[in-house]
Amino acid sequence: MYWGRRSRLTGIAYLAPAVLFVLAFTAYPLARMVWMSFHSWSLITPPSWVGLGNYRRAFADDQFWVSFAFTLKYTAIITPILIVGGYLLALLCSPGSPLRRLTRTLVFVPVVIGLGVSSLLWYWLFSTDFGLINRALLDLGVISKPVLWLGVDADLSNLAITTSVVWKVIGFGMILFVGAIQAIPTEIHEASLVDGAGHWQRVTRVILPLTLRTVLVVTLVSVIGSLLAFDQFYIMTAGQPQNETATSVFYVYLNSFPYLRLGYGAALSMILALTILVFTVVQLLLTRRSHA
Amino acid sequence: MRSRLWLVLVAAALVLAACGNDSEAPSTAAQAPAATTSCASNGELTMWERSGGNKQMVDMLVEAWNTKNPNCKVKLTYIPHTEMVGKIAQGIASGEVPDLMGMDLIYAPQFEKAQQLVDLTDRISTWPELKTASKGHMTVATFENRLYGVPLYADVSALFYNKDLFKRAGLDPDKPPTSLAEMRAYADKITALGGDIKGYYLPGNCAGCNIFTVGPLMWASGAKIEAAGPGDEPLVGDGVKQVLQFTRDMVKAGNVHEGDRTENGETFHLQFGSGKVGMMGTGNFNITLARQQNPKMDFGIALLPGVAPNSSASFIGGDLVVVPKGSDRVDDAVNFMKFLLSDEVQVEVYAKALNLTTRADMVENKYFEAEPLVQDVAKALTVGRTPYTLTFFEQINSPQGPWLKMLQRAYYSDDNLDTVIADAKAAMKSIASQ
Repeated sequence: MYWGRRSRLTGIAYLAPAVLFVLAFTAYPLARMVWMSFHSWSLITPPSWVGLGNYRRAFADDQFWVSFAFTLKYTAIITPILIVGGYLLALLCSPGSPLRRLTRTLVFVPVVIGLGVSSLLWYWLFSTDFGLINRALLDLGVISKPVLWLGVDADLSNLAITTSVVWKVIGFGMILFVGAIQAIPTEIHEASLVDGAGHWQRVTRVILPLTLRTVLVVTLVSVIGSLLAFDQFYIMTAGQPQNETATSVFYVYLNSFPYLRLGYGAALSMILALTILVFTVVQLLLTRRSHA
Repeated sequence: MRSRLWLVLVAAALVLAACGNDSEAPSTAAQAPAATTSCASNGELTMWERSGGNKQMVDMLVEAWNTKNPNCKVKLTYIPHTEMVGKIAQGIASGEVPDLMGMDLIYAPQFEKAQQLVDLTDRISTWPELKTASKGHMTVATFENRLYGVPLYADVSALFYNKDLFKRAGLDPDKPPTSLAEMRAYADKITALGGDIKGYYLPGNCAGCNIFTVGPLMWASGAKIEAAGPGDEPLVGDGVKQVLQFTRDMVKAGNVHEGDRTENGETFHLQFGSGKVGMMGTGNFNITLARQQNPKMDFGIALLPGVAPNSSASFIGGDLVVVPKGSDRVDDAVNFMKFLLSDEVQVEVYAKALNLTTRADMVENKYFEAEPLVQDVAKALTVGRTPYTLTFFEQINSPQGPWLKMLQRAYYSDDNLDTVIADAKAAMKSIASQ
């Protein structure tokens, strides 16, 4: 009995720092956000209770839904690129590939750069007047006048931002895929070779099914990351042209800080969080099924 | 029982004494020592300032104070311009405020109304220096006849023109345009030079740059732009449509670089110094920048014109120095203000660095006399104005706001201008009424 209580106390002592950390930095802020979403609060004046007013306002706010739709579109475009691209790069890095070391290094280096920094870098690269991309294309004769990459045409802006994000994060998925591919037992590879499977058959019939769980994990991470996209759009287009590239989080930021509507921003965040929760649950169910 | 009664009597006496003290307490003004340009007490003063403003100027001002007052140096912290409003609000909400703050002047009324700044009326309103302090700054430093700050620095907008391009286009470099019609005619001639030269510049994706440079064209044409508050009518006057038509015509005539459409403010300050623009609305800060960027370029400065000949206006921007509620060093914050407005600092710090003085009576000084361009740009102070609204960011400065949307539709679409203005007007009114 004495030892049981002691070991229980020891266990609690070990857990306590982590529990306190989670309570302070996850549970409390989340609870505070829920509380805020039911208030009107500008930070510089006291909060006042508005009940569901912020939520009603959100559902009637066209600009929020425009930004939400754009975020979904962006997610739908970038996620397949990151999954397929990351997977192909991982195959290039598989054991025996001559490009293995070079590909790994070149593709993974941008992952360690901050998203804000890489967005600023690409902002300057795509700059109409001062950017290297337009300069290079002009010198090569590909274009006759500078292309207005950012803030003028929504599709072109999206293309430029997608390029920058793919450059920045594709290495993350690649490394996960490399790990999953390398975890496949050598015997399975050898057995497929004995059975006479070609390269393409080994990829589609052996490697892909055995790494499907990782594909779903990377998809989940990519979807959540894309739904929370902010830095790249804030820095590269600030939502332009005419709010057509404003993401949901950018809209939350605008309301919460420059506009000082913290309660409304919290309500928008709650709607976004619930959306991500739905995606996550669906993905986890799929992952569990693939595992089973 | 007796002891309890005794305690009650003592407590009552203390409460009465406290009430008596309250009623007889001298006012804050009476308690406050007269302002000087030196320390009231020892110890470091903390100050926040936005990094996107006139950093060089603020650094010099703080350095001057610190040299004079080594016992109460100002410790300056820069906060990114785009995060300043949120950061101040967070500081106020959490009670972690600095002793004094530099604040983009257009946001001051919002904080004054929320009673988050120290009311300095009783301490500073009798200062003779304030009689000539920048009117734009003092307007937004005042809320319901109470004073909350003084100017830190002034940025005014004016028309910069490239004299080299004027000469090449056959224009008189000593005769800048005095009306929109002249500006259009001059721009046509400069653009006709060909190559990468254009007559005019419009920042197509920057709301703040446009209120600074296109807003004055509307004011000079007799128009009003922002809605001050609920029920107030924005975008009033024929000048709004006339200026929008002028800018649309400029774009359609090819007088503006196509790349200007993407300008979101990041490279705005570099455009005139590139030497590829004939005329451009920009600020006094561009005098030094353009010279550093393009030392051989000869340029002049005139006032931003309106529709009628010789009409003019300017946007008076810049920062105020204010004291947030909760500051422990109000006396020294006030002394710092007194120091900024002193004759010596106005001349030996502001003017010496070729920055505008924040007092109109200090414009005539030995440094400006040797620099005609600063004298030219200083004239903008006399015709300038600063918008006064509690929702400036949402109406005007936001990249999602109705001001930029209206301008972009005017510049780059064929939408009916009356519709464009009506849509913007409705959006601005809606924001102001919230």
